[in-house]
Amino acid sequence: MEEPVNPMHDREVGQPVSRRGLFKYVLLAFSALATAGGVLTPIIAYLWPPKQASAAGGGRVQIAATEDLPEGTGEVYSVNNKPVLVIHTAEGYRALSAICTHLGCILFWNEQREVIACPCHEAYFSTNGAVISGPPTSALEEYRLVVEDGEIYVEGGEA
Amino acid sequence: MEMTSERNWRTRVGDWFDERFDVRIPLEAFLKKPVPKHAIRWYFCLGGITFALFLIQGVTGILLSLYYRPTPGEAYESILFIMNNVRFGWLIRSIHSWSSTLMIAFCVAHMLRVFITGSYKNPRELNWVAGMFLLLLTLAFGFTGYLLPWDQKALWGSTVGSEIVGIIPGIGGWLLGLLRGGMEITGLTLTRFYGIHMLVLPVLVFIFLAIHFVIIRRQGISGPL
Repeated sequence: MEEPVNPMHDREVGQPVSRRGLFKYVLLAFSALATAGGVLTPIIAYLWPPKQASAAGGGRVQIAATEDLPEGTGEVYSVNNKPVLVIHTAEGYRALSAICTHLGCILFWNEQREVIACPCHEAYFSTNGAVISGPPTSALEEYRLVVEDGEIYVEGGEA
Repeated sequence: MEMTSERNWRTRVGDWFDERFDVRIPLEAFLKKPVPKHAIRWYFCLGGITFALFLIQGVTGILLSLYYRPTPGEAYESILFIMNNVRFGWLIRSIHSWSSTLMIAFCVAHMLRVFITGSYKNPRELNWVAGMFLLLLTLAFGFTGYLLPWDQKALWGSTVGSEIVGIIPGIGGWLLGLLRGGMEITGLTLTRFYGIHMLVLPVLVFIFLAIHFVIIRRQGISGPL
């Protein structure tokens, strides 16, 4: 005499899984996973660091007011998550990549000597991005810069 | 194949805890209390739905607090940031906003059910009172949360809402100042409402929910009509 196995109850120890029992487990696991995924995906994505001060598709980004950057000064800003050095010289405003073309250190504006300097290996760049001295072999990439109503905008960078 | 089945595994974990905390019997009495047959109806679920909405408000509210900034200069900016820049920020904020409305609606529906079935009567009077406090706290949640986006709708909604307090004879002006942190709605009102919304009300709701739930477990659901 074989005992009928009720698939909705826990199976006996050592019994093979019945067809219906397998269905039950697979459906349960699928429902649990789908629910967890549906709830956790938005929450984890929400917690992920959001994009800062970016324009969708790498468009132009407002970085500062003209009065924040008097002539002779320069400042590094984050434009679409890339460091960009904006300098104000006698010829006007200019935006250059602040990443040294040698090993990627972040450059700064040397006000006294009016050059762009690298803190890592004594490299210097001129105000148009060309190498003056030091290990770098290529010039700095330039960004398009627009001044409108007393506000400075920089275009480009990685979105 | 002897002791490896799922049931044994679960029993053994249960035993481990029971040996140490002697918790199985009280816990089973609490969790496995049968629902009487007359109460297996959708309109007996309204209170539970309100509680579920409260939990949703807790989770989405905590998430919003990670990006929201309660200052006059930055509050609206941070809302725009949540809606436009944060991934699924629009979803989390919309769930928080819609669930707040639904929570009040379900509170009232639950109250109506309790009223119609006469469940507030002796010996359950105090649980009705605890429920009344929970309704007021829910409304206070809605009122303080309404100001936080710091847009025109929030500002004027809170202006009108708090002016109602001001017309109470005698102490109205004093209460209005206490509520607004001054005679006008300013940044002080914003931080005040933020603190109440985020810290004061959740603590009070947890206390009254605990009372509400302990009483219902102690007395059971009211009998059939």
